[in-house]
Amino acid sequence: MRRLPYADPGTPPLTSAPAYLWWVARGQAGLLLANAVTGIGSAVAMAALPYVLGRLVDGGLDDGLSRELWLGSLALLAVGVVLVVCNVVGHRLEVQNWIGASFRTSQLVGHHVSRTGDAVTAELPTGEVVATVASDSLRVGEVYFITARFVGGLVAYVVVAFLLLDSSVTLGVAVLVGLPAVAAVLALIVRPLQRRQRAQREASGRLTTLGADTVSGLRILRGIGGEDAFATRYRAQSQQVRAQGVRVAQTQSLLDAMQALLPGLFLAAVVWFGARLALDGEITPGQLVTFYGYAAFLTEPLQAATQFVQSMSRALIGVRKILRVLRVPVTGADPELLLDAAPPTGGGDLVDTRSGLVVAAGSVVALVSAEPDETARLATRLGLLGAENLEHADDIRLGGVPLSTLGLAQVRRRVVVAESTPQLFTGVLRDELDVRGSAVADALARALETADAADVLDSLPGGLDGEVAEKGRSLSGGQRQRVALARALLTEPEVLVLVEPTSAVDAHTEARIAERLVRLRKGRTTVVVTASPLVLDRVDEVVLVHDGRVVARGTHRGLLDGATTEALAYRAVVSRAAADDVPAARAPLGSGHAVDEGPGSTDRADTTESTIDEEASRATARR
Amino acid sequence: MRLPVADSTALRAHTGLLLRRHRSALGRVLVLHTLAAAAGLAGPWLLGRMVDAVADGTTAGFVDRAVGVLVLAVLTQTVLIRYAQRGAMVLGETVFAELREAFLATVTRLPLSVVERAGTGDLVARTTNDIDRVAHTVRFGVPRVLVTTATITLTLVAAFVISWQVALGLLVGVPLLLATTRWYLRRAAAGYLRESAAYARLNGTITESVEGSRTVDALGLGPRRRERVDADLREAFAAERYTLWLRSVLFPGVDLSFVLPVIGTVVWGAYLVSTGTATVGAVTTIALYALQVMHPIGELIFWLDEIQVGATSLARIIGVDAVQPDRETRADARPRDEHVVAQGVRYAYREGHDVLHGVDLDLRVGERLAVVGPSGAGKSTLGRMLAGIHPPTGGTVAVGDVPLVDLPLEDLRGHVALVTQEHHVFVGTLEQNLRLAKPGADDDELRRALRAVDAEWVEELPEGLATTVGSGGWALSPAQAQQVALARLVLLDPHTLVLDEATSLLDPRAARHLERSLSAVLEGRTVVAIAHRLHTAHDADRVAVVDAGRITEIGPHDELVAAGGDYADLWRSWQRD
Repeated sequence: MRRLPYADPGTPPLTSAPAYLWWVARGQAGLLLANAVTGIGSAVAMAALPYVLGRLVDGGLDDGLSRELWLGSLALLAVGVVLVVCNVVGHRLEVQNWIGASFRTSQLVGHHVSRTGDAVTAELPTGEVVATVASDSLRVGEVYFITARFVGGLVAYVVVAFLLLDSSVTLGVAVLVGLPAVAAVLALIVRPLQRRQRAQREASGRLTTLGADTVSGLRILRGIGGEDAFATRYRAQSQQVRAQGVRVAQTQSLLDAMQALLPGLFLAAVVWFGARLALDGEITPGQLVTFYGYAAFLTEPLQAATQFVQSMSRALIGVRKILRVLRVPVTGADPELLLDAAPPTGGGDLVDTRSGLVVAAGSVVALVSAEPDETARLATRLGLLGAENLEHADDIRLGGVPLSTLGLAQVRRRVVVAESTPQLFTGVLRDELDVRGSAVADALARALETADAADVLDSLPGGLDGEVAEKGRSLSGGQRQRVALARALLTEPEVLVLVEPTSAVDAHTEARIAERLVRLRKGRTTVVVTASPLVLDRVDEVVLVHDGRVVARGTHRGLLDGATTEALAYRAVVSRAAADDVPAARAPLGSGHAVDEGPGSTDRADTTESTIDEEASRATARR
Repeated sequence: MRLPVADSTALRAHTGLLLRRHRSALGRVLVLHTLAAAAGLAGPWLLGRMVDAVADGTTAGFVDRAVGVLVLAVLTQTVLIRYAQRGAMVLGETVFAELREAFLATVTRLPLSVVERAGTGDLVARTTNDIDRVAHTVRFGVPRVLVTTATITLTLVAAFVISWQVALGLLVGVPLLLATTRWYLRRAAAGYLRESAAYARLNGTITESVEGSRTVDALGLGPRRRERVDADLREAFAAERYTLWLRSVLFPGVDLSFVLPVIGTVVWGAYLVSTGTATVGAVTTIALYALQVMHPIGELIFWLDEIQVGATSLARIIGVDAVQPDRETRADARPRDEHVVAQGVRYAYREGHDVLHGVDLDLRVGERLAVVGPSGAGKSTLGRMLAGIHPPTGGTVAVGDVPLVDLPLEDLRGHVALVTQEHHVFVGTLEQNLRLAKPGADDDELRRALRAVDAEWVEELPEGLATTVGSGGWALSPAQAQQVALARLVLLDPHTLVLDEATSLLDPRAARHLERSLSAVLEGRTVVAIAHRLHTAHDADRVAVVDAGRITEIGPHDELVAAGGDYADLWRSWQRD
């Protein structure tokens, strides 16, 4: 059995859905072929069972344990063994075909989204991208799963047709034409059923949403009331789903009944016709038994054919969605494109010609603005991060060289931008921190200390070797931010750009981080977007940005004490952050100047939850 | 903290209770299915009779009559199946509706402390994934198990009635069938759960890659993300390979145990025919039964498998029933005044690991107290104690001399409320969202509450208060959502508020705008504000510094600064002038 995943999933054609399916099929042609052989084997063996049984009824049964009976029984056993072997080998092959195709598709999508940057989210919502792996790739697999059975069924159908026609032309034709007719009638009844099922699925989807919504807001519900109203709403929707279910039951039970009625009547007709033939001596009683067996058996290839058509149409729809993901262009920033492993010797000022920003080589500079978004935008532009910044590659120069001439992979290596809402990923903490895989233990410890993140080691079972949960959920908001900061520091880039790195931590911690951060990055170009006096007071230079231009620069103290209009503007921004200039009304409590941490309220719920865990683990750690 | 999961005894008891409650419907369905299965046996039986009759030389009249009986049997079976299936499906829907409604009723009544500590992730998973899994089992599984069981039982009974001697030949496959099925079922559920866990992990990885695509790009994490996808696929492959191996044992075992009875019946039947104990027709009938029973047995095994998986989900659903109440409330508890006092409050999330070490705090009515201190010092825990969410492990928190945890939840909400970073807009109209806090409020009252928090945007909504909001409805910005939460507080009107970094997760501009809304809500109430920004502390009447589970300093800002302690150091570094 071939081990998956593939070392390289290959490059599929992105032209059309059928072309994609054909490309996948070519990749596993051998498996498909072998599977078709077993499919034919199984189907023919299944068809042979009634035949052998019929032969036995004709000769052998009457004479007790005769030689003929033993031979017939051995034949039956042989057919049985062929059936058993073909079934199990066939099943192994069909599963391999299925996972081969679906894993290849998942791998292609999974690999592609790691190269597209945020362009992929502009093309499709996250949920739909995940759905291409969670369901569409499985649908693609199903086509290859069912193929062998379909082919086997077709062959068996033809074989049986010849056997039947050989015994009796009329009966043969009746069976071969009658069964597809029965299948067609059944297919017609399925339509209204599918409609009702869809209605129930939708109602039931709404119910699930309602339940999930209620439970997501449960803390609020329990805190301020309204539980009964919600339980009542849920009950009403639940009863609606039940009513829809009863409607489905009406149609479904009718279909089930039809599935008994139509083949049943067909069978009765075959038996009647066959018995008449047997009476006239045209066929033997054994052949009558064989006909009966065939009429029952032939429903299987019909089912396989219907399934094949259905899964093919589902797969085509799925592939179209997959292709939308795969067609999103790559950024070209992936480290695999880094031709020259050793970056050219660093040094040189970082200059943005549009804003007039000049960051002297080796200095630690803070960017301040009345509009935090503005400085954040400028900061990401410095590293050409995100689809919106790619057009500015000519405006940014590092050591006099425009970034456009460096290539994006090289830019990423030399300029690292850590945004204010960085994401943590599932994995062992040590690996998640050391993303370039080059840090020594010493550097790890130093980065953690600088980000004041040592407490994370206590709260995570296993410390550095502990597992960070999905999106860092097991950590509190503050911990996540500090881990992300340590991670950015560990890349040790020539230029480090940090956007609001301490917005979610308390003042005690922020003061510590500010001091250590400046010490660690001493002599290496660093840009920090912040409005916190605790940080501003530590950096080499502060730059005030207004309307996209640099309007003032100097030290924090210098600007605070200055008398120019720019200095006044600076004081207004910074003092609002520190709020020493209280408005006439008493400033409200509990408000802070921090950035949103996560996309949904569930994240927030987890934040609070993990704060508790954090406290609990601290209590443990102290003992 | 994890929510409980029911053990197998509780699971059996619960299932038993459910079945007993619906025993008449269940009985009806069983009888109908048994009759339907009986009618389905007519085909092979009549064919056997005809084989004998044709051999003996019979008339066309006999054949016509026999086929007439067959047609009658098919028609009867059709009608029976129709009603049996409908009954079974309606029963499944009813039982399942009961199950999910009871679950949600229990969930919405969970003790406050459990909800706060367990978080909502696990509960959401139970409400969605587990309910869906049980749905599949109950809707499709239960009816199919009834049908297949009835069919199998009846086929065997019929075979024995026709000729018990010949029918003995059927049993040749039973030991093999039982052995392989048992072997398989013992391993299958774990195998399939491992599979779905592996796929869930893969989906999680893709979600992370897409949601964090900017971070992936910024830090050059592409190669790692690809490795991760490959690792998840490797695990999924290993899981698939395991279940494939299970089926590679099961399928031949089951297939063989289907073929053996056919051969067994024929050989054994031939012997019996030769001794005159059985007719060729009887042997034919029973051999056809052996072929016919293959399908239901295969289906039954398939469903046993699914039912095992469904049972693990059911255990998680009914497990919620086992949560014990966290307090015993006294209905007659009447606080004398609005004075909140904490005395010697201790709290431990895990026994022996106190997070709070005996905190005393006397809140002055109408004051604003800021609580500051490093992360993990116990600030949030103290906030929860003051809001009456968790009963303290030691000491008391009382309002007007009545311990908070003695108050029924409905009363407690009118006294103290906890406001966190979390804000949730429920799917529904805006007025529904607001009336949670005060079911009897009229539209004017709702509008006044919204105006109080500066939420003028309500007037611009397409349908005003009746606009549907929440996921799928009109999208409110985070700041607007927070204003809705604040308006709820105005309607709830508690005299004391505990704010746990209530707006700290909003972006700076939204936070500034919200400051005004928040001041309106705080007016005239006692406020405890847990904060990580110092200007909050500066503006408060008093500041409490919490460190390592104790209040180390408390007093007005100016006094603390003058006292020259930790707080003063911090303030100076913040201030720097």
